[in-house]
Amino acid sequence: MTLLQQVHWELEMDYIGHPYYVSGNAILHALGQQLPQDVHETLHASHGFFVPGQFGTFPETHSQDGIRPYLGSGLPDVETYDDLFLLRQSSHSWLLDSRPRDALNTHDIRVQSGHPALTHETIMGRPQAADKKQQTTKWYVHAYLHADGSDCIPIEDRHLDGLQFGGKRNYGYGAVSLKDTQVVDIESLDFSRLEAADEYVLSLTTPFVLETEYPCAADQDIPWWWAVDRCDLRERQEKLLEQREVFSLQTVDHGQTVRYDGDCPIKTAKNGLCRIGSHAKYGFGEIRVTPREAHDTLS
Amino acid sequence: MTGTRPSSDDRTGESEMIAVYRHDVYKLTGQPHADALDTYAGVPVNQPVPLGADRDAAALSRPDGSPTQTVVNHMTLSRLSLLTGVPVEQAPPHDESVLAPLVTEDDPEVMHQRWLETDVAATVNESVYYPYTSLKYHTLLTAALLDNYRDGHDFADLHLVVDQDGRRVPHRTVYADVDFALHLDGGTHDKPSIRLGDRPRRSWAATWSRLPAHPLATDSEAYDRVLDANLRRITAWSTALQYLEDFMTGVER
Repeated sequence: MTLLQQVHWELEMDYIGHPYYVSGNAILHALGQQLPQDVHETLHASHGFFVPGQFGTFPETHSQDGIRPYLGSGLPDVETYDDLFLLRQSSHSWLLDSRPRDALNTHDIRVQSGHPALTHETIMGRPQAADKKQQTTKWYVHAYLHADGSDCIPIEDRHLDGLQFGGKRNYGYGAVSLKDTQVVDIESLDFSRLEAADEYVLSLTTPFVLETEYPCAADQDIPWWWAVDRCDLRERQEKLLEQREVFSLQTVDHGQTVRYDGDCPIKTAKNGLCRIGSHAKYGFGEIRVTPREAHDTLS
Repeated sequence: MTGTRPSSDDRTGESEMIAVYRHDVYKLTGQPHADALDTYAGVPVNQPVPLGADRDAAALSRPDGSPTQTVVNHMTLSRLSLLTGVPVEQAPPHDESVLAPLVTEDDPEVMHQRWLETDVAATVNESVYYPYTSLKYHTLLTAALLDNYRDGHDFADLHLVVDQDGRRVPHRTVYADVDFALHLDGGTHDKPSIRLGDRPRRSWAATWSRLPAHPLATDSEAYDRVLDANLRRITAWSTALQYLEDFMTGVER
């Protein structure tokens, strides 16, 4: 039994930090102030994805269907493997076409003493032109935790509420409140969509670490079951901050897709949820497995 | 997505490529589609684009089916900026002295250059229903599709190509600034590129995210990371290309 605890936070204040996601390292660091050390040491955290709280419709691959108000503001039921990724793709294909989906899904930027901060809400419609037609979209952060020992999960709500992520925390930036949480057992998920396929594509939900300056962490080659050469992959540098020391990581950038050359896709899918490679504990190396014929329309 | 291979007659090709830059003049002049004039400033305008290139370019930025109003208090051709949230300053209709360079030129390559550099066409959206889209980039995408289709490429052959030398290719370049250019190309090339997919759809974010290289300094520049993060969230092609231009020229770092 491998338990994933999904956590959905609501941004209460602008966020100054990584614009792609709240790193798993930042989430674990914030939880370190809340939890006993022995519990905290066993935890692994995913990167936290930014999600707009908006009307949406479930994609065809999801076990639920229909239109929901504020789909991104909570955690829908999870029955299948694909359900886990609903809120973990930046383009959020579930957003409705009857609304300005791209405007609602892009971050407004407020410059705070030279730093580009992401706003905690998007306000549409100018007050002078549209009395009472102003529309506010709140932003959420979606992440999940798992632990080496299964008795640590779930983490109690009181430990998950009132955290802060990103820079300038002394000034109140990056404050979040707990909106929703639920526990999913990986072993009980339905993987039939993968079982029915013959060929697969891997998409990198978060960066995969190739080289790290962090002491005692091993450099990684790309896994043998990625049907691609390293030179064909876009790389990007990341920084890992610990005890005020900065360590550089060379990564394969997230968002890219590679063909799968292995022969155990379900096992790879499960491992991809718990992440692979160096710093998997801090959110790196999250991978989604998709049937190849569907990879044009990932959602 | 292509029909039969087009005529090799150069003059037909030239006039088709000129026509593609004139196919939506009624939006620049603020006329309704039903009243669109056949000529403007003495040249033929508002003509249909062959080989389905206009329809396919529209599918890259707008959903299928009957359009609905997506922004409650905004129902004009004036483009809304994704960067600032407000309408861009100069709204249609534009007068002839402003539009003439975009419409009356008769060298297709010069026309392509002017559309790459225009601010005027960037003040107008593709459709009043989708006010964040951009007529400038819709037109450049239509031209790139038509030019590729005329060369016998199907949509499924097309790639988004990153050109870090910033070279401009007539009709194929869909974005250019001082540092880099982006092309749609069905041929072989030695630059980083990714397929657009089997059919035209709003796939900007997926295409950009999967590129084997992109030209932003995301290792070192916080503002480039923010730009990149937003480019991974936008699905409409003309909206994304316009956002890229607006961010590059409009954000103080």
